[in-house]
Amino acid sequence: MTPYTDLQLDALRELANIGSGTASTSLSGMLGRSVDISVPSVNVLPMADAVGAIGDAEADATGVVLGVIGDLAASVLLLFTPSDAAQMCSFLGVEADSEIGESALMEIGNIMGASYLNALGSMTGMALEPTPPAVATDMLAAIVETVLAERAGAGDIALLLDSNLIVEGSDASVSFLLVPDQGGVEQLLARLGL
Amino acid sequence: MVRMGELAASAVADDVLVSIGLGSCIGLALVDRRAAVAGLAHVVLPDSGGKSGPESFKFADHAVPELIERVVAAGGRRSTLDAVLVGGASMFAVSTAALEVGQRNEAAVRDQLGAARINVLAAATGGDRGRTIRVHVGSRRVTVREAGGSVQELVPEVVA
Repeated sequence: MTPYTDLQLDALRELANIGSGTASTSLSGMLGRSVDISVPSVNVLPMADAVGAIGDAEADATGVVLGVIGDLAASVLLLFTPSDAAQMCSFLGVEADSEIGESALMEIGNIMGASYLNALGSMTGMALEPTPPAVATDMLAAIVETVLAERAGAGDIALLLDSNLIVEGSDASVSFLLVPDQGGVEQLLARLGL
Repeated sequence: MVRMGELAASAVADDVLVSIGLGSCIGLALVDRRAAVAGLAHVVLPDSGGKSGPESFKFADHAVPELIERVVAAGGRRSTLDAVLVGGASMFAVSTAALEVGQRNEAAVRDQLGAARINVLAAATGGDRGRTIRVHVGSRRVTVREAGGSVQELVPEVVA
């Protein structure tokens, strides 16, 4: 199924690892708390399977999405469960389910996205910048498929670089996904000489 | 379950065709007024731009004709088909795509239905909420549920 070799997938996982490492440092600085990261997973799968691989399709979730401008066609998606969103907001001293709560989550997306892309850019020599974030609280599937739809013109395979960041001493976590389109994956690999 | 870019038709009365969490995508249901036959397509993008291939049913211009064929092959009749549209929302206040994919999806599906002379019986489209569509083949009842909402009936049971 996968058009990529194990070596290529390992390289992509390593990119995600370093990207989410720097993103966790910036999240930690913003919250004033330590943040742990799990080993990122790299999923290459048919678009139709992608939503199911991320979570329960009809569950409530808050998604913050950023576009990428520069040398890579990709989107960045952060996913919070309702309880994650509430805890993140309370760490920042703002009310969840409010306009200011939504801006706080967008700011988390902005800062994490910028540092992730910055790390990715310096590893690959690509100029990468995030576009301003947008937020939606909805069914998980509706958020994920809307992000995938923007990338779907380029191919039927979805590549998800998924990192989970957990705030230490709490069960608050955020799922950070980089979703390049199929051409974007080739570009990343080419820059790494793979 | 009809997932992104997939489509299905059925004449099995107990079948329920479902697409969960339609965002900018369109769930297009076709129901036959006379026979217990229905179909559902999960359209992702408006236009293939000439691309084809076995997995091209994510595009409205391929999905709509294919769904009609499959519903007819399952025992439906072209002249007694009605369409129901769900989805096409603008999920994010600031869309990263310059053009609203949801609106373009709906327009493309409606164009294709117009060309095939199929009437749109009901629609729950636009707005900024995700939606789930359920098509009950036996009764041809079609329901929609918006995120955070309750189940609404779009098309009532067909009483034979």
